[in-house]
Formats: sequence, structure tokens, C-alpha cells
Amino acid sequence: MYLSNYKALCFALSILFVFSACRKEDDVPEPAEPQEFGTFDLVFDNVYGDGELSLVGTDDENFDYVNGNNQDFNITLLGYYITKIELTGPNGEYYADEMATSADPDEVKGFYHVLESDANSRTIRLNEVPAGKYDRVNFTIGVDADAVSEGATGGVLDPAEGGWLWNWDAGYIGFAFEGRSPASPAEATQWAPENAVQLHIGGWKDLPDNPSMVNNVKRNSIPFPSSVSVGERLEPNAHIEMNLLTMIAGPHATVDFSTTFSVHAPALGSEIAKNLATAFTVDHVHQ
Amino acid sequence: MRKITFSIPEFYGWPTHLLVGGLLCLLLAGCRSDDQVEPLPAPDDPYAFVAPANFPPATYTFDNNPVSEAGFRLGKRLFFDPILSLDNTVSCNSCHNQSLAFADFPLHPVSIGVGGATGTRNAPQLVNLAFRREFFWDGGATHLDFVPLNAIENPVEMQEEIGRVIDKLNADPEYSGLFGEVFGQNRINTPQLLHALSQFMALMISNQSLYDQHLAGEYSLEPAEARGLALFETHCQGCHSGILLTDESYRNNGLDSSFTDVGRELITAYEGDRGKFMVPSLRNVALTSPYMHNARFNSLQAVLDHYSDGMVDSPSLDPTFRREDGRLGIPLSETEKSDLIAFLKTLTDRNFTNNPLFFKEQ
Ligand code: HEC
Ligand code: HEC
Repeated sequence: MYLSNYKALCFALSILFVFSACRKEDDVPEPAEPQEFGTFDLVFDNVYGDGELSLVGTDDENFDYVNGNNQDFNITLLGYYITKIELTGPNGEYYADEMATSADPDEVKGFYHVLESDANSRTIRLNEVPAGKYDRVNFTIGVDADAVSEGATGGVLDPAEGGWLWNWDAGYIGFAFEGRSPASPAEATQWAPENAVQLHIGGWKDLPDNPSMVNNVKRNSIPFPSSVSVGERLEPNAHIEMNLLTMIAGPHATVDFSTTFSVHAPALGSEIAKNLATAFTVDHVHQ
Repeated sequence: MRKITFSIPEFYGWPTHLLVGGLLCLLLAGCRSDDQVEPLPAPDDPYAFVAPANFPPATYTFDNNPVSEAGFRLGKRLFFDPILSLDNTVSCNSCHNQSLAFADFPLHPVSIGVGGATGTRNAPQLVNLAFRREFFWDGGATHLDFVPLNAIENPVEMQEEIGRVIDKLNADPEYSGLFGEVFGQNRINTPQLLHALSQFMALMISNQSLYDQHLAGEYSLEPAEARGLALFETHCQGCHSGILLTDESYRNNGLDSSFTDVGRELITAYEGDRGKFMVPSLRNVALTSPYMHNARFNSLQAVLDHYSDGMVDSPSLDPTFRREDGRLGIPLSETEKSDLIAFLKTLTDRNFTNNPLFFKEQ
């Protein structure tokens, strides 16, 4: 059979492609990977200023916290998505948590919905971390375009299972704080009590021709106070503090609950979202 | 399962023969790879998604959710089933009717409060959805999977309503069986529901109108239709462009000078977007009256009268419609309008609206 040169070239190329694809998996010796792996726990503590923080019901009339504008408030809901976690070490150690979306919740990997109301959700266990020293963690707060553009996903992203899918914007709320404050003029609705404060930070893409369409998904890179070792018989962890005070009275935005009490759109939350950069710190590590 | 680092656009960028050759070789060589190679569908399989050659690349994420016969039929069943509405009264089909290219019945404008605002919007036709980047008149959904959530749920975030729909489906032994068959899991969840609906909607491809036959050289336009096409190319194709007959941009075509429904601004919170709406596809347009997001016009004649003489000014009015003499709109004579209408009628695809593939079963 006669093939034109071009077709023959294509054919040869595809064969080459196949062989190289095969070789990658079958023949090439494994790169020198460490023989040893261990676990690493990220433990999230939500705090307010110098103190602890706890949730109350939406009918609670005690307002135990004071914001940057001297307005009393309480906290009824607090949480965020942590995704794309990486650990790095001083000698090139590197671990990237696997990310995968799927309709099958068991196949969904790397998305964590950290909720103040659920103690289990506040510890993220990373498995199969190569043994070595680590002194920095990187993670994304929110669910970025890579995941949103994959469409419907199960597990912690399933809205029927408590996932924070923002249905009209087709993205996820990355960070949410809800509470009540006597300073908030919100009237009771079917979905919110009177005096409600709801700050929902979402928005996952920039649009060049729309200055208000903002991407509020943020990536933080936080050093540990000292390095920790990962290994087979070790159980190291890092305690990450999320300071709500920094979120509502931080370098980029000081929220006044009499005017800012209902944030449900990306643009409205963009200044508050900038506070995410400093709201998370690694308080301490355990070896 | 889909690893997020793999990117489809690159995949599409490859020369097809190389790709096909590569795939064939993969099959022949029996080389296992992590990503399973789907068997190539038989060409006459009505349940296979086959993009028409003259369409842009599909945007839908088929590698997460390949169409299968069982999945498509499950999606169809759901589309016709009022179980998806909270009070079991409305199905997708109530507002999206196949005989009208899945648009709504005339004079049945519906209210759906996207983004918390209650607006009165006309249900658009559902065609060629697997090729679209954004959905709804304001682009409030960016993936086909997420579209039905807006219909099923009250448009309020963090609501549990979808959870109740999922519970209803799980409590139904027939649905449990059907979902299990398609997705192989023992519990129905939201992505399975949305994937089934997307499988059904992804096959809604309309590309067999007289206009398509004309493009394929199989039909020669009547003189009026041909004059209409020429006018269309001059005056309309800047927006209703390409084979999908929309460029999916957001524009203001002069319907209002102040806006009860702010349109694209609802999504972007950008004042410059006030009163802009997505350019709709004009495929099957003769079937989809009433016209515009707010169902303003009942006939194509009324639409063209608007384009020629009915526009009102507002800051976001598309510059295309500002004439040098300061007047607004597209100058069109009455004969030109009737020629345009003759052309617009060639966009009707009866093979699509009569395709038994989409008929309700039982
Ligand atoms: C009460 C009437 C109604 C029902 C029921 C309904 N829709 Fe719709 N649909 C609409 C309206 C109105 C729009 C346009 C909304 C907008 O643009 O804001 C729409 C838009 C859509 C779109 C986007 C089309 C485009 O071109 O952007 C899709 C897809 C869709 N609906 C699918 C469905 C599915 C699937 C169901 C069932 C789960 C459903 N609809 C149920 C009225 C309805
Ligand atoms: C500058 C862009 C632009 C141009 C040029 C344009 N249109 Fe449109 N067209 C739109 C937009 C935007 C809408 C939707 C407006 C809305 O609903 O608010 C629309 C809606 C329509 C509709 C209603 C479709 C439906 O399903 O409701 C018809 C019909 C239509 N246009 C025909 C035409 C014709 C014919 C021409 C040429 C004479 C034309 N358009 C030129 C932007 C344009």
C-alpha cells in the first residue's frame, strides 16, 4: 500500500508516540524515589484575635465578639475549602497532594471542606509523603478553575452533601462566615435570621473586560517555625491557625456590619478575600 | 475518575490523523495506559456523541462523563419526570418542548430568579449545548452540568433543596436500579443526576436545517432566502456568527433604556454590563417565539421592526447600532425584512424537532 510522505510521517510519528508512551510505563527504570513514606497532618484551628472561637445557634442572643468597628457579633457558621496542598523542604523535598474530580465520591481527591462545626474536618491527613524534612506548606483557599471547569463532582463538592456550590455563578464558595450582629440591619428572610451577617467569598475567574468579575481563590505559602521530619514511624503535624479577626479587620478590609452584612457575589467579597493572605499562619509544629 | 492536570484543549490541538493513528496503535499494541482508551463508537450508534465536522470543538467534559445508551435514557427519563421539582409538579419538559427545539411555548415567559433576583425570562431552545462556553441569558452558568441546578433549586446558595431531590431519587427503587446500572455506585448523588441530564442534553445537536444543507451543497436557496442570507451576513453575523449562529458575547440590542433585569451585570457586578444579554443562537428561530430574554416580541416581523426602527438608547447599547446620522438600529426596508425572514426560516431543523431519539418513553 502506498502512503504519501506526509501520511507516512504521521504514521511513523504515531508509532513512535505509542512506543515512547509504553516505554514510559514499562521499561524506564523508576527514578530514584525515596523508599520511605510517612503521614503528615494539617490541623486547622479557627481563632478570633488572641482567643478561641466557638459557634452558637442562629437564635442565640449573646454576642461575645467585637469586630474592628466596635460592633458586637456572634458566629453561627465558619468554614473554607483547602485544596492543592503541597509540602516543601530545605533539601528539595516535595509532596503534592493528588487532585481528582469525579462523580464517584471515593475517587474525589485533594479537596477538603474545613468546617468549624465538624472537628474531623479540621484535620487533614496527608498520606504517602516522601520521608524527609519539611518546612513549608502551600495550599489554595477555595476551588479554582481547574476543578470548576470539570463540571459536577461528588464528595465534599456535592451540594446535596453540604458542598458549597454557588449555583448561579457555577463556582464554589471558598470561605464563608455567618453570624449575627445587632449592628446589621438585615431583616429576617426565609434563609437568614434578622441581624444576619453573611460573608461568602467566592468567584473563580478573572474576565479581562470586567473589572468587577474577580477571582477570589487565593494561594498561600506559609513557612513552619521549624522544620519537621516525615518518616515511617513518625506522626508529625502542623497546626494552622485561621484568625477570623484578620479576615474581618485585616490589612485590606475592615468590615462594618452596618453596611457590609450580605456578601454573596465575587466583587463584593474581593477586598475581604485579600485578607486571606495573612489570616492563615502556622502556629506550631509537632514532631 | 479524572486527574485535573490533564487538559483537553491540548488534546484537541493535535492533528486528528495523528491522534487517530496513535489511538489505533495504542489499541493494536495493547499498551496499557493509565487513562483507559474508550472503544471507538460504531459510526451508526445513535447514542455516541459525534461532533459535526464543521462545528467548533466540543466544550463539554466527555472524559468525565462519556455518553452511553443507558445514561442518555436515564437523563431523558429525568428530563420528563416532575420528581425533580420540589413539589412534583414541573419537569424540564414543562418549559423545554422538543417540537419547539426545546424552547418554551409561546406566551409562556417564565420567572427564574438567578442570583437572587427575580427576573422574567423566556426559556431558550436547547440545542448544541455541548459546544457552548456559557449558559443562560446572563452567562450565570459556565458548565452544562451546573445548569439544571438552577431549575431544580431555589436560586439561593447553600440550600439543602438539591439534597431533598437526591433523597427522593434514592427512595425510588426504579431510579436506584437505573443509576446503579449507569454509574456503578450504590447511592445516587448530585453529580450522577447532573451527568445523566448532561448526557441527554449533549446529544441535542441541531445541524440539519435547510441552511446546513445549503452549506453542504445539497440545497440551493430560493431567491428570497439567498437575498436574506446576504442581508444576514451584512447586518447580523457580527453577533449571530459562526455555525452556532452566536458568538456567545453579551450585548445590548436596544430593548430598554432602563433595566428591571440587569442581565450580565447580575453575574459580573459590573455596571458596564447593565442591560447586556447573551447573543442567542438563531437556529430554529422560527419556532422559538416569543423573542428576546423578556419575551418582548411575538413574531420575527416584530423583531426586525425593532432592529430597524424600535431601538432605544442606553449607555451599554452596542456600538454596531449607532448609525452615522445619529439614529439607532439597522436600516432595513420591508422587502429586506421579508427576505431576512425567508432566510431565518431555513434555520429550522425538523429532523431535530422530530427526532425520536428524544421522545418520551413508555
Ligand atoms: C419553569 C420553567 C423551566 C423549567 C421547569 C426548566 N427550565 Fe431550563 N430554562 C428556563 C429558563 C427561563 C431558562 C433561561 C434562564 C436564564 O437565562 O436566566 C432556562 C435555561 C436552560 C438552559 C440553558 C440554555 C441556554 O442556552 O443558555 C438549559 C440547558 C436548561 N434550561 C435545561 C433545563 C433542564 C435540564 C431542566 C430540568 C431539570 C430545566 N431546564 C427546567 C426555564 C425552565
Ligand atoms: C450587536 C449584536 C447583534 C446584532 C448585530 C444582531 N443581533 Fe440579534 N440579538 C442580539 C442580542 C444580544 C439578542 C438578545 C437580546 C435580549 O434578549 O436582550 C438578540 C436577539 C435576537 C433574536 C431573538 C432570538 C430569541 O431566541 O429570542 C432574533 C430573532 C435576532 N436577534 C435576530 C437578529 C437579526 C435578524 C439581526 C440582523 C438584522 C440581528 N439579530 C443582529 C445581538 C445582535
